[in-house]
Amino acid sequence: MKKERFFSVGQLLMWAGCLLAVVMPAAAEARDIKVGIVDTYSGPAAVFGNDALNGFKLAVNEINKQGVLGGKIVFTTRDEQFKVDIGLNVAKELVLKENVDVLVGTINSGASMAISEAVAKKEKIPFIVWTAKSENITGKAGHRYVFSTAENTAMAGKSAAVAFAKKPFKKFWIAGDDYEYGHAIADAIWRNLKKIKPEVEAIGRTWWKPGEPDLIPYLTAIQAAKPDCIIFATGGVSMANVLKAIKTTGMENKIPAWIHTATDHSVLKPLGMNAPEGVMGTIQYHYYYPETPANKKFVADFQAAYGNPPGFPAFNAYTTAQLIAGAYRKAGKIDKEKFIDAMEGLKVDTPVGKVEMRACDHQAVYPMFLGTTKISQEFGGAIAADIITLQGDEVMPTCEEIAEARKQK
Amino acid sequence: MESYVTVSGLISQFLVGLSRAMILFIVSSGLSFILGVLRVPNVAHGSLYMIGAFVAHTLAMAAGGGAAGFWLALVLAPTAVALISLAAERLLFCHLYEREHLMLLLFTFALALILGDLTKITWGADYRSLVAPPFLQGSVMVLGTPFPRYNLFLLAVGPVVALGLWLFSNKTKVGKIARAAAVDREMVGAIGINVGRVFAFAFVLGCFLAGLGGALVSPTVSITLGMDHTIIIEAFLIVTIGGLGNMWGALAGSLIFGVSQSMGILLWPQFAIVFPYLAVVIILTLKPTGLLKSVW
Repeated sequence: MKKERFFSVGQLLMWAGCLLAVVMPAAAEARDIKVGIVDTYSGPAAVFGNDALNGFKLAVNEINKQGVLGGKIVFTTRDEQFKVDIGLNVAKELVLKENVDVLVGTINSGASMAISEAVAKKEKIPFIVWTAKSENITGKAGHRYVFSTAENTAMAGKSAAVAFAKKPFKKFWIAGDDYEYGHAIADAIWRNLKKIKPEVEAIGRTWWKPGEPDLIPYLTAIQAAKPDCIIFATGGVSMANVLKAIKTTGMENKIPAWIHTATDHSVLKPLGMNAPEGVMGTIQYHYYYPETPANKKFVADFQAAYGNPPGFPAFNAYTTAQLIAGAYRKAGKIDKEKFIDAMEGLKVDTPVGKVEMRACDHQAVYPMFLGTTKISQEFGGAIAADIITLQGDEVMPTCEEIAEARKQK
Repeated sequence: MESYVTVSGLISQFLVGLSRAMILFIVSSGLSFILGVLRVPNVAHGSLYMIGAFVAHTLAMAAGGGAAGFWLALVLAPTAVALISLAAERLLFCHLYEREHLMLLLFTFALALILGDLTKITWGADYRSLVAPPFLQGSVMVLGTPFPRYNLFLLAVGPVVALGLWLFSNKTKVGKIARAAAVDREMVGAIGINVGRVFAFAFVLGCFLAGLGGALVSPTVSITLGMDHTIIIEAFLIVTIGGLGNMWGALAGSLIFGVSQSMGILLWPQFAIVFPYLAVVIILTLKPTGLLKSVW
């Protein structure tokens, strides 16, 4: 009797052991996916960093309801302070100390390039750039470990060039931020415009330091040269200052101007009814256009959670989170190389429809919207009007062009 | 590119530079005053300028955002900054005047970081914009070249502030004491003057000017985090080339800085960033103590 019971306990243990042997690896497999975010959370660019973070949080909260591969997406943030060296250091720290599975960020094109080269490529860790727009990130400096969910300068430049080619402008002045993004976007538009309309002429170029607060002296000097149109290669706070200076110097409706993301509400909203009208801008996301159910839901959720409508960084970050979740689900396990394979060609649902991560250059394919600022009583400020949509494949460099650019490097 | 530079363009650009110099003068004269009288290199001066701009925006919006709101903000925002600085002086600075400069530098640097974060906590990271009253918006033709009206206003305000400072430091008793304290504070104390009160007054006046600069600059720029960094570097350079603690040095430095920047933009736009700094290098090479007599 006693002996029999002992035996049955041993049997139980054996079964339990077998069961554990089966369950244990599965339990170890179901861990959380760690995302390291490097972005700017202090200084003037913080408004974009916060917007992106909110978009990412919103998506992650939705995704975590179902979970990914039995775990959750968790994230940790680092402030790069819009500085290349700090961005690089915190990215290294996230990879080497926090052991993140994937890096995302940043708004600074210079920092994104540095992290791509010195961290992503070197440590073989996937890095998804979500706000920085230099086309070099997925263009000539692209590689297996870097992705971009930001619309880039090549796309913006081509969109603007297509629009300009239809206008009678001949004499252009190019002015902008003296750093990676400013030069990249100026080059992109000028290269494309020259190709479509060879008779255009750049009568002058002005470069100011990124974040230069008072742009009035720059604009008065440009105004004196009387160009047909001004191309502003600027972003963030300098763009807000350009828009303000266009109004202050009385250039509004006198000299046409184009600025990529001029129609972004985070720069137009503070200006309210005093925003300049007639400024052309390109962007890949508006919270009020297109008026699809998916976009309306995204905007309503975002508004409810954070108290203001989403900007383009929030949209990019939301898309990024969907891609991360989609790629891990497709890969079936948390593995960096498998993640990259799964990302290539992946299509996810976003507020503006399906977005594809192009396999050949790791660039998200977005349509571009070209609009002109116009005061709307309903919105209490300027919004993009007369919106023209250009499809992603119309404005992106071809895979052949990317291959050529990378070979030259 | 030179072919686009006309005489009227040159004059208009010169005037834009002068108007920019007026803002720089108002801010750097405050910094210079504090440096001269208190011997405090106040790195937090730029933060007070930023706070002045944010407070101006908040006040103008609270008053309905119209022209009246702007004028109200222009008076009250610097006053608010002065009150903040009075609290800072009475609670913190007054215990530190005898410390060495490095300690003071570290202290004010820490204060700048704290004020920067407090600004972020209070107002958030969104851009803000203040609008000038309607009659100061847009531009007028000056010699056939459009010139922003608001910059004309700045050109008028600058000399008024300069005159006010001159009257204060030469015609009022407390101004004279402050000047005397700048030269020899022990002697001023020895003849029975309450130096602590003079110091507090000088500090508050200097900070008032930072707030005034912030409120005045608001209609020409976006009010954002980080506007403290740019201005403090420029203000220190201006004070250095003008002569430490010398009010007229601050004026001379501001004019050189503002005009060299605006002319550089017109004449060589691709390298415009370099010009004001080049001017600083040349002046400091030729005259390392600054243009005018330093009170240190």
